[in-house]
Amino acid sequence: MSKIVNFTIDGVSVEAQKGETILQVARKNDIYIPTMCYISKTTPCASCRMCVVEAQGLEGFVLSCNTPPTEGIEITTNSNDLEHERTNIMKLYDVNHPLECGVCDKSGECDLQNKTLEFNVGQQSFAAKDIPRKIENWGMINYDPALCILCEKCVHVCNEVIGDDAIDIKFGGYSSTIIPKNSETLDCTYCGECIAVCPVGALISSDFQYTANAWELSRVPATCVHCSGGCSLEYEVKDAGIYGDKTIYRVKNNFEYTSLCGAGRFGFDFDNKASKNEADLNKAIKAIRSAKAIRFSSMITNEEAYILEEFKEKFGMKLFNEDARLFASFMDAYSSISGKKHHSGSLDAIKLCEAAIVIGSRIATDNPALRYALTTASKHNGAKIVYAHPLEDVLMKNTASQLMKYEAGAEEGVIALLANGIVKKADLDEDEKEFFDSLDLGYLGAESNIGEEEISQMIQSFSRAKNHVLIIGSDIMAHPRARNIAKIVALIEKYSAFSVVVVPSQVNTLGVSLINSLDIDEDMVDNVVGYNAKGNFVISSLEFANLSIPSLNQQEGTFVSIDNRVLPTNVALDFEGYTLNDIASVCAIKHKNTIDCTKLLSQKSGFKALNFDELENFLSAHGDDNRGYLLDEVDCKMDGKLENIEDLAEFNGTVIYHSNPVLQFNAYTNKTSQLERDTSLRGSAQFAQVAKISDGETIEISFGSTTIQRTFKLDEDLKGTIALNPTFDIAVDSSKYRFEKSKIVRVTNE
Amino acid sequence: MKNEAFNDRNVSSDGYFKVDIAEYPTDGWAKFTRVVRRTFRAELFVGLWVVLREMLKFDIHTIQYPLEKMPIGPRYRAVHEMKRLWESDAERCIGCGLCEKICISNCIKMDTKIDEHSRKEVSEYTINLGRCIFCGYCAEVCPELAITHGGEYENCSEQREHFIDYTGMLTPLEMMANGTQKEFEGFGAITPHEDESVKKTPLSY
Repeated sequence: MSKIVNFTIDGVSVEAQKGETILQVARKNDIYIPTMCYISKTTPCASCRMCVVEAQGLEGFVLSCNTPPTEGIEITTNSNDLEHERTNIMKLYDVNHPLECGVCDKSGECDLQNKTLEFNVGQQSFAAKDIPRKIENWGMINYDPALCILCEKCVHVCNEVIGDDAIDIKFGGYSSTIIPKNSETLDCTYCGECIAVCPVGALISSDFQYTANAWELSRVPATCVHCSGGCSLEYEVKDAGIYGDKTIYRVKNNFEYTSLCGAGRFGFDFDNKASKNEADLNKAIKAIRSAKAIRFSSMITNEEAYILEEFKEKFGMKLFNEDARLFASFMDAYSSISGKKHHSGSLDAIKLCEAAIVIGSRIATDNPALRYALTTASKHNGAKIVYAHPLEDVLMKNTASQLMKYEAGAEEGVIALLANGIVKKADLDEDEKEFFDSLDLGYLGAESNIGEEEISQMIQSFSRAKNHVLIIGSDIMAHPRARNIAKIVALIEKYSAFSVVVVPSQVNTLGVSLINSLDIDEDMVDNVVGYNAKGNFVISSLEFANLSIPSLNQQEGTFVSIDNRVLPTNVALDFEGYTLNDIASVCAIKHKNTIDCTKLLSQKSGFKALNFDELENFLSAHGDDNRGYLLDEVDCKMDGKLENIEDLAEFNGTVIYHSNPVLQFNAYTNKTSQLERDTSLRGSAQFAQVAKISDGETIEISFGSTTIQRTFKLDEDLKGTIALNPTFDIAVDSSKYRFEKSKIVRVTNE
Repeated sequence: MKNEAFNDRNVSSDGYFKVDIAEYPTDGWAKFTRVVRRTFRAELFVGLWVVLREMLKFDIHTIQYPLEKMPIGPRYRAVHEMKRLWESDAERCIGCGLCEKICISNCIKMDTKIDEHSRKEVSEYTINLGRCIFCGYCAEVCPELAITHGGEYENCSEQREHFIDYTGMLTPLEMMANGTQKEFEGFGAITPHEDESVKKTPLSY
């Protein structure tokens, strides 16, 4: 029941939705109230007290940022008393603030500077004895306590949006500072969100510090290319040094409403360099003409995917992309029950949910955007979040309210148990009833290690919640029983309040799965052209390419994000060499520009016939998403039949789980200069015991047909006999289930 | 004052007259005779005589450039100088980038970085004097009086690159030791008695 409150601000009659504060209503109606510490995506910090307003009939001032209006109240945002109060606050903020604006990295984009000028604070009239304050270096982040105004924005985003909860305020009056929480130095996922929200230059990227001024940098609106979150960002570009080429200096985001993980923020220098060499181009054309197949990765734009599809039509070759094929197959099975082509949930739905289940993904590293959405839901709506995975994740500790630890390989059983708990009592049809009746709950519970009380605890904690979301991770795409799992997921959605979000594993897995008709990868070696993937002729934006093509920050085009939103990205850096379109035009597939394909994308898959240039890429001043467009809903035939659950697979011994460390996703993040590259196999003490290895040892890991060498690192946060194997530095077959049995041998240096 | 004189815009009367120009020759013979007449008239010797007369007087006002040079006013805007701090000999430039921004001929380029004391350091700085129009905006905008104009107006070289030498602009350390660095009095300089109007920050100690 939404209740509307009518009241007036400065004589203008306005209305507030239930739960809105005076400040929010004022901003919606374009009435200006100055703030220093307010940030829309967190709960009000209420530390600056700049947002004070007068309410008729009340003595003293009211904080507009955290006060909801009452019916008929008359609010005044401007008076001599308020002006005096605010000016005094600004005078206090300016006490002993270093006069180094000339070198400060904010270089004019400073809230403090703006407000100081706004309130005309021309001189310092208060005095305080200054104290020595040491500049802290926290790895990728530098902190200058002398510049800090203690607005607490950084602390609030770290805790409420990111979920790291890594920084805190050390209270001490004038000597208050920001400190790493419960630690000597900063120990966090280095998302850099604190840098983004800092209104002054106190928290700053150590790589960027003192290298450029804001006015020199030209902003390129783009979309992050590291995971499927599709976060909006702006590359800031300028000529390097005094003779250099255009270089990306930093990445910024609209921090008022959106967040960015560290890979997006610090991992921007993955551009490719090449020059035009006609001999190479001719070789590439020859290779494509004689190719039996093109194998490609999902790190491409929709337009490239479309051109590849045209190659298939023209030359009759096969297209291999296991990652997208498995996703498409999962979604196909899902559609056959749900009747809809696209999953129903989105990141915004997660932010607003009150109950969520995450299954089959180490989500904090697989898709940080989704983790931040979950954190927001948990902190702001008190959402109950069930994190179901064979491995505990310390990063989800602050967010997840219930850990459901199941055995690796048992996803089908777990989903069946969840479905049984959630929709058993719904109005099912015969086949579905039969499916649930045939479930051997005892067997499933025992084999998957999920107790009956865990399910009932979950059901109970969800009972009062509105807006449920079920999040399906990429473990399940490659599960042998993925299609049946998809059908059960669709069943849950059909008969309950749950919306479903399926997490695509790479930036454009979803787009590729909609555009391309993919074939099963037969692991062919000869006559295969690799497009950002392996093959006997490689066209790639990575190293070791026979023909170089531009990286994703050197291309314009669109991606489809986890929200089913088609997002445009723009060229941040120039590329001298050839693009896929150049190859295509020689092969008589004529497009003037690659982006001419944007309007050609299939409307049967939900794309709209819009030109690239018609797509916007911005958030409005009130945070409305105006980026690209949402895919149209497409109805599908509902002819799917549930299959009975097969026996669950067992994984014993030394099992490895393909999972990247924080901030690493793929070969592109691996190429960047700032992101840490931890290639070690991380496992628990128990794993070390089973594998007979110890911390720091070089080991040889064999799984499937692959053998690699890594260092073993003991991780105290892990438990059990599953170790984490990074995949960003090696190409792992994405058709395989992410848990794999492995053989581990210690390498002796003799 | 009366405006009538100004309001009369009839330029054809009142003091204006047409210059008496002879008719231009039209045929070949007339042209030939004009050339001959001009050639053998001894006009050239009039000029030579003036030079000879002045030379014999031994009281010449001509400046013997490049042996002699005119004194240049302190506000003259010639080749830039980069000044040092009197108290530490450190470079005054803080790398704020304002000169680079304001430069209307885009001839200033700089690169900055963080140094080992966590301060901003200028790692590269060039002014392309081949492009500079000596407008003086950079000196005016400089908050530290670091970049100024000097009196060095002689620029010639075979290489354009010679016009972008930073070390040539920076005050040499010997000059600092001798205390002979000159403050610029032109654009952006402190006005006399500026210090008298400075208000001090209140300090509680």
